[in-house]
Amino acid sequence: METLLSLLRAADYAFLLYFAAINTSYLVLLVLAAQEFGRHARRAPFAGADDMLRSPLTFPISIIVPAYNEGPGIVAAVQAIAALEYPTFEIIVVDDGSTDDTVDRLRDQFQLVATPRVVPSAVAYTGQVRATYVSATNPDGLLVVSKANGGKADALNVGINMARFPLLCMVDADSVMDPRALLAVAKPFVDDPVRVAATGGVVRIANGCRVVAGRVVEVGMPRQWLPRIQVIEYLRAFLMGRAGWSRLGGLVVISGAFGLFRRDLVVLAGGMASDCIGEDAELVVRLHRRLSATGGDYRVVFVSEPVSWSEAPSTLAALGKQRRRWHRGLAEILVRHRRMIGNPRYGRIGLLALPWYLQFELLAPVVELLAVVLVPAGLYAGAVNVDFAWRFLLVAYGYAFVISLAALLLEELSFHRYPRWRDLGLGFVAAVIENLGYRQLMAWWQLRGIWDAVRGGRHDWGRHQRQGFHGDQSTAGPPVAVGQPAPRGVSAAAPKETENRLHQIDTLGSSSRSTDGGIG
Amino acid sequence: MNDALIITVIVLAGVAVAIIVATTLIRFLRLRRERRQARLAAGPRRELLAFAAEPDASGADRLAAMPQRQWQHIEPAALALLGKLRGDGYQALAQVFDRRGIAEEAIRQTRSRSPVVRARHAELLGALRHGPAAPDLARLLRDRDVEVVVVAIRALGHVGDPRAAPALLDTLAGDRSVPAHLVAQSLTQLGPDAVPALMDALAAPAATERLTAVQAMGMLGDPRPSRAVAGVIAADPDLAVRVAAARTLGELGARVGLEPLVAALAPRSPPDLRAAAATALGALGAPTAAPALGALLNDPIYQVAHAAARALRRLGGPGLNELTGAAAGPSEWTAAHAREALAMAALANPARTARPSPLEV
Repeated sequence: METLLSLLRAADYAFLLYFAAINTSYLVLLVLAAQEFGRHARRAPFAGADDMLRSPLTFPISIIVPAYNEGPGIVAAVQAIAALEYPTFEIIVVDDGSTDDTVDRLRDQFQLVATPRVVPSAVAYTGQVRATYVSATNPDGLLVVSKANGGKADALNVGINMARFPLLCMVDADSVMDPRALLAVAKPFVDDPVRVAATGGVVRIANGCRVVAGRVVEVGMPRQWLPRIQVIEYLRAFLMGRAGWSRLGGLVVISGAFGLFRRDLVVLAGGMASDCIGEDAELVVRLHRRLSATGGDYRVVFVSEPVSWSEAPSTLAALGKQRRRWHRGLAEILVRHRRMIGNPRYGRIGLLALPWYLQFELLAPVVELLAVVLVPAGLYAGAVNVDFAWRFLLVAYGYAFVISLAALLLEELSFHRYPRWRDLGLGFVAAVIENLGYRQLMAWWQLRGIWDAVRGGRHDWGRHQRQGFHGDQSTAGPPVAVGQPAPRGVSAAAPKETENRLHQIDTLGSSSRSTDGGIG
Repeated sequence: MNDALIITVIVLAGVAVAIIVATTLIRFLRLRRERRQARLAAGPRRELLAFAAEPDASGADRLAAMPQRQWQHIEPAALALLGKLRGDGYQALAQVFDRRGIAEEAIRQTRSRSPVVRARHAELLGALRHGPAAPDLARLLRDRDVEVVVVAIRALGHVGDPRAAPALLDTLAGDRSVPAHLVAQSLTQLGPDAVPALMDALAAPAATERLTAVQAMGMLGDPRPSRAVAGVIAADPDLAVRVAAARTLGELGARVGLEPLVAALAPRSPPDLRAAAATALGALGAPTAAPALGALLNDPIYQVAHAAARALRRLGGPGLNELTGAAAGPSEWTAAHAREALAMAALANPARTARPSPLEV
């Protein structure tokens, strides 16, 4: 009995140390993020964005928009992307066997004409391409591919195959991007074209913002508490956390909602993994693995501003489903790339980033729920006294609260995107409420995500029901006539599956914890 | 242990209160500063916008004589305007900056110890297109901070002094990774007077230097170096340079490029060169290249066959005839590329492609 009591006592102290370590690691990332934001602000006056916009040599981008039953919003999404400020880009919408009218809406709005296309097989895909369409008014600017359902990663792989340009931007159809977002994420490629392999943009929560014609015109806190708490979470984990990791040279997550990659490297890595839920983060880890293994001098960079805006789940059911997915994805990635964890061959990724994700992201819900069980058990068995228990809770959650407040402070110092005093007050309250049930629910969902990964099973698209943005207005004009019928698309396999990567290489390389489920 | 925990709780509570107070105070001070700046800048800003809309001597005098405490509030806006104005409006505003001694001060600041200050003032000198600053900007091309070098490269392009071409090309010769495409863009901004320096660079030992020179020649569109570039396709030891030369020949549109480009379509040429040569032949618009491009439709490499099909599309009648023949041929690979190109041609010019070709009769 005494041994059991000693074990319970030791476990409680271990939990305390664990929570202290996890929050201290976040504090370090916040400090690094602050340095990064300061550096960014000092350099903004000579970033040369206007020169980028005017130069014919700015690397053109293929924007891939995977879509599954996005009928209500797809037209506005394409119009908003088409209006982004960037010299040369093409939009490739890959419809992954939608059962709604996604393709019909695109066809009506953009005068799509079915044209035969040869689909290169640079990366593998499974869903057969049924038809390809181009816009009659801008054949080189918009390509719509209709394919059999194969999942998001499969749709992205078809888009990668069809892409003509050396840089790939993967965006979600329900994302809203700032007008200069492409210029910002492409900037690191312009400055350091030989070494930069991928860049990730920050994703913020669009709930509560006013969206007009595919643009966020007024930023505000969401009206519901659930998304409000997620605003704080996104600030701490996605903005500050990733900026900190980027500063450390250990960025392993680029959001699928907004990332830019060198096409030649994505093709070399084999494209998106269709057997992994977190395909976006998995690709980044795989790029690290391949590039480190070949001794390459490369960088994966996080860009903190401007941003892409995404609608966050506003119901517990949708949020739970999302976080289960994210955590399942994290578990699958860490299992798949387990040989990298703690392996000095992979530098900071192997020695720092992946061990951190294992200890403080993947295992955090396990530890947190164990604490929820074992601390009361210790209390009941008399292993710990009541004074210790409540102080323990205050320190563990108080530290996490301080980290969230620090994230709000840094936001105020750097980007101050939320202009109203009320938003700031709501942010402070959300940082408190986050600890009263939200974190514990999160841990439960994440634990189920781990269980899902253990069980395996089918991957789905993982979309949640959109509520729509405040003030959301499509710029869609009146429907126009569909173009003339043309032969069905062609998907001819190359006699020799060869991808010529030299062009891209030449084009680009010619110059000298907490509950912050992190793979969203 | 319990005492330590309670002290920690007190400290955390204190830190939380401090952060909340600091955040609130920072916002209050920022908003107050912004309101004050907006108030102080309102008058001078009206003055600036009126001048930009209708530049005249009296407006220039008022802006040039404006007290520094007022000017500092509108200088960022004035700089932003410089980037948008063209012609006389630009010149007039740039002269205001010059009369205020801003360019001279910026030249002095290019020697600052801070790389951020050096880069910021190099950017300013570029925005002002301040000719006398060219030697100082050229000096920054050898700066120890690569960010400063990048800004200096762009600034020299804006200044547009062709004498800067050799120095710009020299940045590519060292061990440092300088973005070659930025150098190419700046060389292009120097204009046709930079062509002799670009031709000299074709013999440079660094492949990146040769490649950048070739790219800049293509963007300049000056036909003088066509023959020299044609020689690069077969002779240069670096594939990337040969590929760039093929593209440049297409951009220059000189007949002298036809023969080396057709020769580069041969199966022994690397796939990248075959694809670039095919694209260039399409840009040249030489109907005599149609048979050679038609043969390339069967190339097993996707990019090569695709480039050949697109090039044939651009050739007009003879190219479309080749495509029509290939579309009806036995090879599905070849036919698929041909059908794709024909469909795109039909979109671009329905009337022209609707006409029956001799092969269809």
